[in-house]
Amino acid sequence: MKKNLILKNFFIYFSALIVFLIMFFPLYGLILTSIQPENIIRSRNLSFFPTEIIFTHFAEVLKPNHISNIYEGIKNSLIVSFLTSFLCIILAFPAAYSLARLNLPAKNIILGTLISVYFLPTILFVIPLFVILVSYQLDDTILSLVVPYTAFTLPFVIWILKSFIDKLPVEVEEAAKIDGCSTLQLLIHIIFPLLRPGLIAAFIFAFILSWVEFLTPLIFTNNLKISTVALGLFRSTIDIKIGQQAAAAIITLIPVTILMIFFQQYITKVVLSGSDK
Amino acid sequence: MTDLLNQPSNSQFKFSREKILAFTLILPSLILVFITYLYPAIFTFVISFAEYDIIRLKIKKFIQFKNFEFLISNYFFTSSVLRTIYFGFLICVCTTILSFLIALLLNEKFIGKAFLRVMIVLPWAVPSVVSGVLWGQMFHADTGFLNALLYQLGVISGYKIWLADPLVALHVIAIAEIWKAIPFMTLFFLSGLQSLPSEVFEAASVDGANVFQRFSNILFPLMLPIAIPLFLIQFVLAMKSFDTIFVLTRGGPGGGTTTLNYFIYQEAFETFNLGRASAAAYVLLIITLAVVLIPTISRFLMKFFWGNK
Repeated sequence: MKKNLILKNFFIYFSALIVFLIMFFPLYGLILTSIQPENIIRSRNLSFFPTEIIFTHFAEVLKPNHISNIYEGIKNSLIVSFLTSFLCIILAFPAAYSLARLNLPAKNIILGTLISVYFLPTILFVIPLFVILVSYQLDDTILSLVVPYTAFTLPFVIWILKSFIDKLPVEVEEAAKIDGCSTLQLLIHIIFPLLRPGLIAAFIFAFILSWVEFLTPLIFTNNLKISTVALGLFRSTIDIKIGQQAAAAIITLIPVTILMIFFQQYITKVVLSGSDK
Repeated sequence: MTDLLNQPSNSQFKFSREKILAFTLILPSLILVFITYLYPAIFTFVISFAEYDIIRLKIKKFIQFKNFEFLISNYFFTSSVLRTIYFGFLICVCTTILSFLIALLLNEKFIGKAFLRVMIVLPWAVPSVVSGVLWGQMFHADTGFLNALLYQLGVISGYKIWLADPLVALHVIAIAEIWKAIPFMTLFFLSGLQSLPSEVFEAASVDGANVFQRFSNILFPLMLPIAIPLFLIQFVLAMKSFDTIFVLTRGGPGGGTTTLNYFIYQEAFETFNLGRASAAAYVLLIITLAVVLIPTISRFLMKFFWGNK
């Protein structure tokens, strides 16, 4: 029996190691490439540990006139992602409340439509949006990114917030209503503070989804000044400096990785809220 | 507005007023979704039957089903449709199996589990452009780890240009997509596993069922209701994959990694044939819907013919 347990433990740790290596090694390889001089990267000696650490790739990439424009890209991506997440929350919060609590006609149809729309191929909507933006000369603006991003992310955010509101105790709202609280007051003063974990989770999701979006900025923007960080990274792949490309990739990764690690509990909460119905 | 809402509730009007309020709260979201989804979808549908003038930005003439006819007789299109379906199923099957195994692992108790979970979730936040760059570097002909590793192990005699082979390139893209898709599905499987009643397994192991019997008779049937929707969602997402292809191969070599989604992009924004692109977009939509609806329809038919659930 004891021997069995040791064997089982050995098996668990062994598979944990394998999983860790498979999931993490690609990222490790990227980090390794980003901090080593170009001649070491290109040499054919395989080494899994850095022999010489330099940060010049990062410095090069962050220069304002670099081909990939990562510096501008970070600024633009931050603006666009913040605006998108903010707009998403403002629109989704009342909508989610209406879906979760109020007597909305055809509730299931509306929710079903919103969710299924999220899974439709993006390219289907991008072609006409491109035509609209070009004909009103709105392409190459922050607006041409924020509005589609918000629309693409909104159904998901509504779904997240709704499942969080569903979990709140109804009694609080009923008590507030008896005390003569209007629905708007209820939303702002009672639900909003109670919903903080849900709002944080929704904000992070919207932020990450806008940060990683690639197809929309690729088509809707040409001007380098409006370039997002993902687009900037792509431009760096035209260049053949592998170290700089890796550095640009790491820079693109950092904000979302930080969000992921610090708010992991919220993200897990979203998954849990979706599955135990 | 506020005034209206603050009025003491009048039972006669309360019902309809709540409906109006409910509708007002959701209206802004609905408007945005309709502008960016429904209107474009109709627009795409209309121009899929037309020739679109990209310079004057208006419809030149309606040509009925010519766009669709062209597509069906086009070898690049038909091969990309088949490739897309293969690509989608490959990603789904691999992601589902691997995620399930990882979730089983994370369901056990061991030291460093929390750390491993963070590491597993991480690729989800990796922008797909980054994952394209990352796997591109892994499989890079001169500097990639894979070549160096295989060469030193003596598996290959010279450095291989992986992405120059269409079939290999397609699978490299699939690997990148699977790596990125694993985190989310693992979390869903894990929460599914944790919601299973542990008494069932204890009873089974008391009754002398071995690991494989427990898996095939208890775990597998219990997890199937979670696995099927996840599988379908993953298929839909795989149909949408674009970034990795764009960064790694741009649909090449020789169109060998052109999925339907990428084909549409090329038609629309490289050759600017919006009519054909729209027609192809509707084909993609139909394939996506078909795969998602098959289980629903088959369940309905089973219910209809056999009468059980």
